[in-house]
Amino acid sequence: MDATLKKKLDIGFNPRNIVVVGDKGPNYNWLKSSAEYPGGPTYSVQLDENEIPGIEELGIKNFKSLHDIPEDEIDYVIIAVPRRIVPFILKDCIEKKVTLVACYTAGFAETHEEEGIQLSETIINMCKEADLAMVGPNCLCISNPKVGLLSNTSQRTGPGGFVGVLSMSGTHTGTMISALTAHGMPISKSVSMGNSLSIEQSDWLEYLGEDEETKIICMYLEGVRNGRQFYDSLKKVAAKKPVVILKGGQTADGARAATSHTASLASPFAIWSGMFQQTGAIGVNSTDEIIDVAKVLTMAKPVSGNRLGVIASTGGQSVLVSDASAKHDLTVPALEESSYEKLRELFTLTGNSYRNPLDVTGVLNTAEEGDMMLNVLADDPNIDIIAMEVGDFTQRRNDPDFYDNMIKNFQSIKENSDKPFIVVQTGMEDVVLKTRETLKEKGIPSIYSFLRGTQALGRAKDYYTAQAEINS
Amino acid sequence: MTTQSIIDQAKKEKRLILTEEESKTLLADANIRTTKIAAASTRDEAINKADEIGYPVVVKIDSTDITHKSDVGGVSVNLKDANEVGEAFDTVISSAKENAPGASIQGVTVQEMADPGVEVIIGLSKDPQFGPVLMFGLGGIAVEILKDVAFRIVPLEKRDAKQLIREIKGFAMLEGYRNLPAVDLEKLEDLVLQVSEFAWAHPEIAEMDLNPVIAQADGAIAADARVILEEESQ
Repeated sequence: MDATLKKKLDIGFNPRNIVVVGDKGPNYNWLKSSAEYPGGPTYSVQLDENEIPGIEELGIKNFKSLHDIPEDEIDYVIIAVPRRIVPFILKDCIEKKVTLVACYTAGFAETHEEEGIQLSETIINMCKEADLAMVGPNCLCISNPKVGLLSNTSQRTGPGGFVGVLSMSGTHTGTMISALTAHGMPISKSVSMGNSLSIEQSDWLEYLGEDEETKIICMYLEGVRNGRQFYDSLKKVAAKKPVVILKGGQTADGARAATSHTASLASPFAIWSGMFQQTGAIGVNSTDEIIDVAKVLTMAKPVSGNRLGVIASTGGQSVLVSDASAKHDLTVPALEESSYEKLRELFTLTGNSYRNPLDVTGVLNTAEEGDMMLNVLADDPNIDIIAMEVGDFTQRRNDPDFYDNMIKNFQSIKENSDKPFIVVQTGMEDVVLKTRETLKEKGIPSIYSFLRGTQALGRAKDYYTAQAEINS
Repeated sequence: MTTQSIIDQAKKEKRLILTEEESKTLLADANIRTTKIAAASTRDEAINKADEIGYPVVVKIDSTDITHKSDVGGVSVNLKDANEVGEAFDTVISSAKENAPGASIQGVTVQEMADPGVEVIIGLSKDPQFGPVLMFGLGGIAVEILKDVAFRIVPLEKRDAKQLIREIKGFAMLEGYRNLPAVDLEKLEDLVLQVSEFAWAHPEIAEMDLNPVIAQADGAIAADARVILEEESQ
């Protein structure tokens, strides 16, 4: 990517100072989320006398103009003023040679009215002429939680993560940050890209593509400003690390909503699908799916085949997981005779089956038995992927240590087998809620239904297949 | 005529839509297989051209004002001899005059009749975000009603062409069914790649419609083609 822009973004993600222009009470989202920034001082610019006492109460020094701020170099400015004022603030930023600007203000081309469109053009031209790097407008700015650069007050400074989040919606940025983190996949950097008038989607993608901390990129897109450039960037980055894309506006109604949200152009979704195929990017249909796919890609071994071996809690689950698998291009094949010989010793009750799925009703009573079943699947040459259900019907109330020991078995399968392994959690009883945290700590991918699990595995298989083709 | 002189000629006449003959010449110039075509303005000329091309032939109305030829009764297929070609010439001209009054009619085109196969469509259009994109689908109902089509961004690579063809729901139709043999998928992929390459090399082309392309057991050939030029190239 462009070396000058890369340098600006490096500084912007690790600013030595932050200026918030025009933030208001009672929420002061921008001032509050920047007040504790450990990397340097936070300043405010606000003219409204009524707002100033509240700002000073936060311990933040207020100035009447960006020019009054006692810093030779300003690294990061957040703009939260009414839209008509934005060009004036941008002018100050240009004069003050600010490194990176983020514009929270909305009301531009997405309004489809003349003033908004006009202002949008003005902003584009100002940024272009002065070579000013701007995030947004119509966005929730950027975050780098490791250094304490946050984009909302509920976000926390935390250890460095490995997921890069790029989103054209502030809400989906927030959801992805909190959900990915809660599921054991902390964020490296996030960008709420908004209308992307200055720094475009392709720039962000290339930046995170080169960012060493970022191992996987999760995106929410409604459209792209420069489609050809985006396609080229995606082709380049997706060949290096997984890029998961949720495209909003897949239907006619959705596309109409997208033009009012971020002024995005509508292209038939079939073109987007084609692009995902061509580039090896992973197209998904919901934020849940982003979580699931990211889990499989970052926590499980590469998925190189589609034959699933399943340990299911009951006969009913065995049927549904088989249906779900077929929907996502996975099969649940018969096992080798040698595997059946081993399983026969355990499956002595009439009514359950060990033909795959292994229906463990009444037969899985000790963690040793669970370990044996897992290893049968790990050793069976007909199986490429292993999934085991932890659900309401797999509680073993007479053995309080059952799941502590099972999780040890899961870890051992994860470490010792080349086959990807996932836990599927079903139901809401104690066993599910209690194991959830431990599984997360141990880095064992656990997905909250067979349908979601098989869907994520199917996507992962397609991803690895495409990578092999593209990089061959 | 070469590709450039055809485009120049159309520009001079302020036409964006090329005739079928021009479109096919353009494609043939790029080594894309199309059915042989010759224009004829009289009945006798039509018969002469048919003799040259070899029977059976197709006769289609030739008018810069008529783009949907079969809608005006302007297409007659499977003509086996001079007599049938002569009759077809008269019928095609009179129905076009009746159904498209006021259209300027240059005559007819006489065309080689492609061997049977599965009708598919290869289309090219310019997307406002992504630029030239290529569409593939099965002909007829599949594309018009079921919208069973798939897209790729131009230019395509081998892998893209291969997956594109297999992505449509109707792909099984190309693998042979009942008494229809499987089509030569590799040749069809090659044709897709040639169209992509051609479109990429000619940004002055706004739209292309190869409809139908006949996918046969031993090849693929465009039986009809329409090229539309970009407005700014005028």
